[in-house]
Amino acid sequence: MEARHLSRDYVSTKRSHFIGKKTASIVRALDHIDFEIPEGELFGLLGPNGAGKTTTVKILCTLLEPTGGKAFVKGFNVVKDAARVRRIVNMVAGGERMLYYRLTGRENLKYFAELYDVPKKEIESRVNTLFDLVGLSERADDEVEKYSKGMKQRLQICRGLINDPEVLFLDEPTLGLDVNIAKDLRKFIRERIVEEQGKTVLLTTHYMYEAEELCDRVGFLNKGKLIAVGRTDELKRKMPSGFSMEVLVTRLTDEALEGLRRLEQVKKVLTTAYEAEVEGEKIDRLIVNIDSDRATPEVLNCLSKMGCQVVSVNIRGPTLEDLFMFYTGG
Amino acid sequence: MFWRVVMAEVEKNLKQFFFTARTLFWTLMLPLGNGLYLYFLYLPFAVKSVSLEFNASWYALDLVGFTLIGQLLYTFYTMMLLSGATFEREREQGTLEALFLSPANRIAVIFGGALSSALNYVWFLFGILLSWVAFVGVKIMISDFLALFASVVLSYLSLVMLGMCFEALFVYSRRGGMYATMLQEPMMFFSGLVFPLQAMPIALLSVSYLIPLTFGLISMRLTLLGAASMSDIAVPLMALASMTLVFLMLAAWLIGQAERKAKAKATLAQF
Repeated sequence: MEARHLSRDYVSTKRSHFIGKKTASIVRALDHIDFEIPEGELFGLLGPNGAGKTTTVKILCTLLEPTGGKAFVKGFNVVKDAARVRRIVNMVAGGERMLYYRLTGRENLKYFAELYDVPKKEIESRVNTLFDLVGLSERADDEVEKYSKGMKQRLQICRGLINDPEVLFLDEPTLGLDVNIAKDLRKFIRERIVEEQGKTVLLTTHYMYEAEELCDRVGFLNKGKLIAVGRTDELKRKMPSGFSMEVLVTRLTDEALEGLRRLEQVKKVLTTAYEAEVEGEKIDRLIVNIDSDRATPEVLNCLSKMGCQVVSVNIRGPTLEDLFMFYTGG
Repeated sequence: MFWRVVMAEVEKNLKQFFFTARTLFWTLMLPLGNGLYLYFLYLPFAVKSVSLEFNASWYALDLVGFTLIGQLLYTFYTMMLLSGATFEREREQGTLEALFLSPANRIAVIFGGALSSALNYVWFLFGILLSWVAFVGVKIMISDFLALFASVVLSYLSLVMLGMCFEALFVYSRRGGMYATMLQEPMMFFSGLVFPLQAMPIALLSVSYLIPLTFGLISMRLTLLGAASMSDIAVPLMALASMTLVFLMLAAWLIGQAERKAKAKATLAQF
């Protein structure tokens, strides 16, 4: 699978008032991105909301046309050979859409099997196998509207696999699922879909830990631009230092942040939202990129001098989240 | 693969529509109100027959039969409009994207949608016939069964093709429902559903002759109630056959355009 200078612009129109004149503006969702995914790889496309992940997936599975560049799936151009591409791909999106709620799970899968021209003799066994795979066999004959969110998501996975696709797109597949179900689903994707069946998977997510747990390689997408691609360990080596301090503090001030940034052993300081309070005071989360763990006392002293109250400290090697913040500047 | 997709669409739509036994019951009962409305529309005038002029000949048609055939075909036309509306539901539940993600033949998809509405209509048909037979008798005068058969087949087939156009329209635009609703009343007026066409101002007749419902009503009314032969209704039959072809080609073109537009403007997931 390959993307060459792939771009996508959306035209956004607005009216000044109900019968006012329309004004159009161009929103660039994808900005000349290039990547290649070898067969059998689980590639993660990471980025915040609105980064262009879903747009990329929709172009690659022929639901959307690019406004620039080219994309190929198994050597087929996604625009010119769209009909061929559709036969070998499938897509699973997060959320509870793309299913017929008034039909049973089994009826849904049989319907999609017909659309994909699955041999008649194979439909029943394939449907049963898929239900077994995702642990839905006992509820296969219930209407989808009676399913829980997690069950609908598992049924979506079955729908995505019904045509035995060579390439599977998973667009935020664990969105809104509870921790245990999401964990099971990740295990299923890694072990059953990639390792056992050897399928090529493009996974999009904004959960960094999910990509870290699953992907062979990742790409960071931010504001439509692909800013880094590689194996996570390779990307981590490119970080200016090997350690990150995660510090939860209260009474954080701009002066304190400036003070930290002036310290010699501190490479980068980022603040992220942390929605919690301690004794009525708001907690801020700091990611402090340091040369070595010996810089810890210096960082804590600095915060203390500036009147900040340290709630907790955690020193660790860089995570994908740190990497993402490093590449995007937070 | 074409017929597999058609049958899958039919099965899916029927299962979704006939979700409960209550739906079945009300499908049978619904035409009753419309039938009574049409019957009482003429009752105060104490007329027993309607004079219909066609091809320089006058036919005296049984009034009940005249309105019954109007109701039969107009209900079918409405069902075809509704088959377009199913795509609105597909859009809302996100299944339109799943459908267009698949390699299924797009014409088969919309044909399956129209066909399921046509099969759904069978229940309405029972309801309409039952209600009319229960209340009043119809004086049927058939002389050419082949002409009647051709009238029925071509009338319904042309409307199925028109239904496919509506479905493509609903994929093309989120305002499909509005356009379809806007077409309901004019269709009723221009087709001569409740009055014979000779009452229509000549300037408006050209609009009537662009509507398959008009020719369907003429040919079915004349063959069922006026003992017309194949040669008497050759013109409306040819018009219906031509419209069937034109609407089929239009539907194929429209669904292609709709998919192209959706891919270019990212509208498949919008609702």
